[in-house]
Amino acid sequence: MTWVNDPNPALVVLIVALLAPLVTVILGFWDTRNTAGAAVATTAAAFAAAVWGAWNGDASYSVVWSETWGIRFEIHLDGLASMYAVLATGIGLLIAVYASGYMPLHRHHTGKRRADDVRFFGFLLLFMAAMVGLVMSQDLILLFVFWDLTAIASYFLIGYDSEEEESRTAALMALLVTGVSAVGVLVGALLLWSEYRTFSLPLLFQSAEPSTTVTWAVSLILVGALAKSAQFPLHFWLPRAMAAPTPVSAYLHSAAMVAAGVFLIGRIYPLVSLDTRVLDALIVIGGASMVVGGLVALTRDVFKQVLAYSTISQYGYVVVMFGIGGEYGVAGATFYVIAHAIAKSALFMTAGAVTEATGSARLADVGGLWRRMPWLAVGSAMASAGLMALPFTIGFFKDELFFAGADGRGQLIQWFAVAGATLSFAYIARFWAGIFLGPRQGDVQPVPASLVIPVGVLGALTVLGGIWVEPFRWLAEQAARVSFGEELEINLAYHLDTRTENLMALSVYGLGAVVLLTGRWWHQPVERLVKIGNRIGPARGYALALYGMNRLSDSIHDFEVRDLRSRIATILIPSGALVLLAVIYSPTQDTFRFTSIESGDLPLLLMLGVAAASGVMVVIPQDHLRMALTLSGVGFSLAVVYALLGAPDVALVAVLIETIFTVVFIGILVLIPRPILRYERNLRAPRIRLGRDAIIAFIAGSVAFVVVWSALSRPSASTTVIGRHIEQSPLAHGYDVVTVILADFRGFDTMGEITVIAIAFVGILSLMRAGRLR
Amino acid sequence: MSDRTVTTTVLTQVAARILLIPIFVVAIGIMIKGYVDIGDGFSAGVIASLGVALQVMVFGPEELTRLPVIQRAPKGTFLGLLIALLTAFVPAVRGQPLMTHWPPAGEAAIHFGTVEFITAVAFDVGVFLVVFGFGVGVTATLARAQERKSSMAGLFSRPGDAGEAGERS
Repeated sequence: MTWVNDPNPALVVLIVALLAPLVTVILGFWDTRNTAGAAVATTAAAFAAAVWGAWNGDASYSVVWSETWGIRFEIHLDGLASMYAVLATGIGLLIAVYASGYMPLHRHHTGKRRADDVRFFGFLLLFMAAMVGLVMSQDLILLFVFWDLTAIASYFLIGYDSEEEESRTAALMALLVTGVSAVGVLVGALLLWSEYRTFSLPLLFQSAEPSTTVTWAVSLILVGALAKSAQFPLHFWLPRAMAAPTPVSAYLHSAAMVAAGVFLIGRIYPLVSLDTRVLDALIVIGGASMVVGGLVALTRDVFKQVLAYSTISQYGYVVVMFGIGGEYGVAGATFYVIAHAIAKSALFMTAGAVTEATGSARLADVGGLWRRMPWLAVGSAMASAGLMALPFTIGFFKDELFFAGADGRGQLIQWFAVAGATLSFAYIARFWAGIFLGPRQGDVQPVPASLVIPVGVLGALTVLGGIWVEPFRWLAEQAARVSFGEELEINLAYHLDTRTENLMALSVYGLGAVVLLTGRWWHQPVERLVKIGNRIGPARGYALALYGMNRLSDSIHDFEVRDLRSRIATILIPSGALVLLAVIYSPTQDTFRFTSIESGDLPLLLMLGVAAASGVMVVIPQDHLRMALTLSGVGFSLAVVYALLGAPDVALVAVLIETIFTVVFIGILVLIPRPILRYERNLRAPRIRLGRDAIIAFIAGSVAFVVVWSALSRPSASTTVIGRHIEQSPLAHGYDVVTVILADFRGFDTMGEITVIAIAFVGILSLMRAGRLR
Repeated sequence: MSDRTVTTTVLTQVAARILLIPIFVVAIGIMIKGYVDIGDGFSAGVIASLGVALQVMVFGPEELTRLPVIQRAPKGTFLGLLIALLTAFVPAVRGQPLMTHWPPAGEAAIHFGTVEFITAVAFDVGVFLVVFGFGVGVTATLARAQERKSSMAGLFSRPGDAGEAGERS
């Protein structure tokens, strides 16, 4: 029992996390009243495992997944993984507590049943488990699997209230934006594989050199990462996703789903930092998100919208910091994620609690609640202070690192950093003050303690982090070392002097206060700007693309189901076009040539002539029987051609197939009522359709001719293969090469073919016996 | 297919009857000799089912019930598929690539006369059963459908056409 005595922390963390949704769902199905309790307990276990794993850390586990493709199930609980696992499970635990109080109220509003809780908690914990798996993955394919698993879980969570159209649209949008961009991750992984023949990140970090391929691969992966982190211009899904129940928003959109994006940047950072252009692009994208998110957040009225845009803006910071790079950039980005996740999820939970208490979700409808909900006010005040980067909160240090990083990158970035921080100071202050200060507005109903306690805990953590920052610093340092790839130290302390960081922080407080106080002057213009952005922004592009693709799909479908002719055409036309493209784009050297005709070829030509003549005869109007027989005439003459070419096996099969085909054909003709046959025989197509059909037939025939010509006149590369087959046939106990090929060398093809025969047989039986002819 | 009612002549009937056994013998021969000479399980299956089709065309679908081998042939399709699948996937269980035949290349095989017992032949037998079952099954289905159609011919055609499918009447 060495496993029990000396467990592998990486495996333990992953297994405990994966068990959480499983156990919760099983207990929930057993008795739906268990669900919330089971969710809290299993998440607590996962959190305990993650903390224990972070402490005992640096364990890895690796096993071959697919040898042929070099994919390994490779996980490593390094510093980066530990940090995100602790965040995902820790905040997950508080979310589970919060949800256990929130979901009964939500059920009450939406008329859902208790059994729906099982679905909710199941997907919430599945998300957590996928997140834990994602952060530990060391293999790009494994990482992609967990990545998509988070997308799927998020789809069901965002669309939890599936009876509302808004939820469904939002869920689909989140799935499409993050799922389609996830293809970028996969393509990037394949590009890296094509260059270095490995999916393993540690190996890639060792061997990757700056090159165009690597830059492309990294850029593609970053598209996926940035879309997941809701960065401009793929940010628009996040505000829509606020249609989800509040615990989902609080979890996915502060600590988990959006964090997965920046996690991925941190995970592949050694590759990202190979090309400074990629880093510069990160600064631009992150900066744009900072500004766009910040400006919009200042004008929103619905709580969760303010927070959603603030999340876009604040992950913009993280991306900018990764773009700035260097010791401070990476450390700052990593630390920022911790500080932001703690504080932002508290604010989301505050928003949910206030909405439950007052029945209102808008800043305009509430105010002065601090007297009525003092605990909530204090808890969220601490969290807000954290995001506003006030001293004695963990947030102060996040901005310190940001400013320190910007310090080395010139005045422009420095001003930008101050502007971004000012925006975030302003919108967070506006959010908190809008709810808890000002004239009293709104009726307050008591809310369960479980809606307030998590906010208090997170608020306390925010302040604790400002006073005793060591545990957070340690966690971030371990993580940043992994991203940075080298030794790195984060030093966090308060300095009472006039260093640049302090001056920048002071100017942020001053400017932020100015922005807040001058609201009535800038509110209108910014609002107008946002409206224009909505009209021409990327969200509109998404809507147009979705609408266009729906239209395209509908029109193809309508054409396809019209009749048998169009059904066949939808299959044959694209495949014919593809084959033609292949012929056009394959090298034409030594193809399309004629060889001389020898006198011995005369019988062959004669039989080919018969085949061609029969082919022409088929098109001449005649009765069905004659048509069937002429058609089989083509086959029989081709069989003779095979025989003349010295392929008796093929000739035999051709003769037999043609015979049985003709018999079955005639058998079917007999089944068709005589008047119908007679009617069809006398049917004449209109002249215009004859012309059209002739053109189509001419094109199709020409394409087929070109394809066959190019294939047959190409110097055969498979001669050697055939030679080897002939050589090895005796070894395989055979002397008839064709049979040995069919049963042995290419036996698997034959296997597929007879499976098709058996399936077709079942189809025929069910159609003829149970179908229309019954 | 013409408007006259066709009846098979005694000559056809005798020829069909006499030919059945030789057709089967040829089919089995082709299958067994497959590894040394022209033909394989596929051709053998088609030949055998053509033999059966000939009987059905001449004597009608009741003919299918007279020989147990023919009666069970359609079910044999799935037995054949199973045999083929087994030869393909049993090696996988033993850790070899799919479709690895036994005995391995170059090693001596158990043989009876010149007939060698190797798994490739078992696979070929599977192919034969699939094709034979398919041929017989389709023939039978078509023939039965025609019988049913002629029994309700009035639904589809004018009275004058009623006899066309009942070739043996």
